[in-house]
Amino acid sequence: MKPYLKSLLFLAVAGAFALPWLSPPVYFVSLLFVVFMYVVLAESWVLIGGFAGYLSFGHGAFLGIGAYTTALLMNHFHLSPLYVLVSALPAGAAAACVAAVIGYPALRLRGPYFALITLCFAFVMELAVKNLDFLGGPEGLWLKAMGIEVGLARGIFFEVMLVLMLVTVLVVRRVESSRFGAGLKAIKEDEEVAQTLCVDTPRVKLSAFILSAFFPGVAGGLYAYYLSYIHPETVFNIDISILIVLMALFGGGSSYVGPIVGAISLSLVNELLSAFLKAEYARVIYGLLFVVLILYLPDGVISFFRGRKSGAG
Amino acid sequence: MARRGRFRPRRVPSRTGDRNVTGILVLQSVISGLMIGAIYGLLGVGFSLVWGAMKVINIAHAAFAVLGAYLAYFLLKAFGVDPVLGFFVILPFLFFGGMVVYRFLIFPVMRARDIVVSSMVLTFGCAIVIENFISLIGSPDPRVFTTRYTGRAFFLGPFAFQWPQTVGALMALAGMAVLYVFLKKTHTGKALRASWQQPEAARLYGINLRRISMIAFGLAVASAGLGGIAMGFVYSFDPHTHNLWLIYIFLVVILGGVGNVLGTALAGLLIGLLNGLSLAFFPYQWVNVITFGMLILILLVRPAGLFRSEV
Repeated sequence: MKPYLKSLLFLAVAGAFALPWLSPPVYFVSLLFVVFMYVVLAESWVLIGGFAGYLSFGHGAFLGIGAYTTALLMNHFHLSPLYVLVSALPAGAAAACVAAVIGYPALRLRGPYFALITLCFAFVMELAVKNLDFLGGPEGLWLKAMGIEVGLARGIFFEVMLVLMLVTVLVVRRVESSRFGAGLKAIKEDEEVAQTLCVDTPRVKLSAFILSAFFPGVAGGLYAYYLSYIHPETVFNIDISILIVLMALFGGGSSYVGPIVGAISLSLVNELLSAFLKAEYARVIYGLLFVVLILYLPDGVISFFRGRKSGAG
Repeated sequence: MARRGRFRPRRVPSRTGDRNVTGILVLQSVISGLMIGAIYGLLGVGFSLVWGAMKVINIAHAAFAVLGAYLAYFLLKAFGVDPVLGFFVILPFLFFGGMVVYRFLIFPVMRARDIVVSSMVLTFGCAIVIENFISLIGSPDPRVFTTRYTGRAFFLGPFAFQWPQTVGALMALAGMAVLYVFLKKTHTGKALRASWQQPEAARLYGINLRRISMIAFGLAVASAGLGGIAMGFVYSFDPHTHNLWLIYIFLVVILGGVGNVLGTALAGLLIGLLNGLSLAFFPYQWVNVITFGMLILILLVRPAGLFRSEV
């Protein structure tokens, strides 16, 4: 990376950390919070979907599992606000456990079949949570207020989500250049060949899936506190799962930069379109965006810049 | 995602009740389940055709179905054309529309390295465009066909047959029969099956893959439209309904085996049957959970479908 880019990046991160304390409009803080969350989701999706080529269409479910775990922990153990942030970690662990149980059988399937089984998993989770009374059923769950001033609470959540985002990006970046990442990419190229070359494919795939479920779980925990009211249709919504995939593919799923670009640009485009246009027009343009992208930049937005530099896509 | 059906089979009152009545109710839900199943089957066959022949997963398939239902609805509202007749009016539009979509959107993507992913993102975009185009023209509230025979029923023995449901199921059966005959008997259909089994060999025998695929895509879109109209007879529809329909289409196609027309049709009937039976025995909100749970199990145990794969 060029030095000026590095310092620019550093400035951007420092600016983001400082933002909530400069009394900006609340709207920006909330918008950026959600954008950061999507970066976390898309970035962790890339571990399994981008590197290994296993398209998980159910990653939104891990967000929901994290959110519900946190809500239950908070309502049953009456955690004080300080522990609250720490307790997002068990939410991540819960999501990772579910991922292990689901992933073990599901990762034996390939291609569209894996995509489909994860999609069904997300659907079943949403419907099941909606129908289980101890999870609040169709009425959702209220989380107790944190007892601190709202603006301050938002600021704290903003910072924590920002940290989570940075950690996720760094972890994925680390994985990309590691042996583990090389194994995942080998699986994407040709699973049989990878296996003959002594890549323990089932283990590698499963660990990638579990790792990629952990971060959405933590993000879900934070999101639950942030919303303070969770409902199956907000945290288990199937659209979130699909959006994660689209964001990662939009940016380019084969490197850690793609999902950052994809998540930020798609959420901002969506926000701008729906701010200035009638909802239906906004959605039509949004849909056309995908069509145009696939027709002209099938390897994601970042391939545009890559292509310029190296002279080849 | 609750399905808003006008007609829901009544729950079986109690297991200890009059056994005769319970038996009839169960059979009744079997019948209406099979009727819905025929429609799922038709929707699945078109989807399966595209998936099998060009490895394209057409996420917009159900959106085309909803589009068909809406076009028929507008014809019914504006000119009083019965949806069954209305289908023949919109058939050419859907067929050529499908060919245009193939030529300008799908075909350029066919060269991509990862056709499955590319086509999924592309057709997902198409689905969003169609969905919002419909809610732009019409409004996003649920619609239902109101024809002369809506709400009427006829009886065969102790079993009630609702006219709209029966018409929908018959349309679906006819559509499936036409597709089957097309694939097995006509020259184009045989060429399509050949290019599906051995694309290179088919090309060596002088089959124009591009033309064949274009026709197949047009047919799939037209059959989706027919399926959508048939669904419109049974359930209410709104621009967003296609998401749920798509899940059912996937279920049917996976169960039947990709590219297996007869298998897909049978799978549709089976899904409808299980759906009808679970409606009779379980609370309504658990029916979809059961259906999707079943799909997960089937995928794990027999990912290639329940029936012997045969093109």
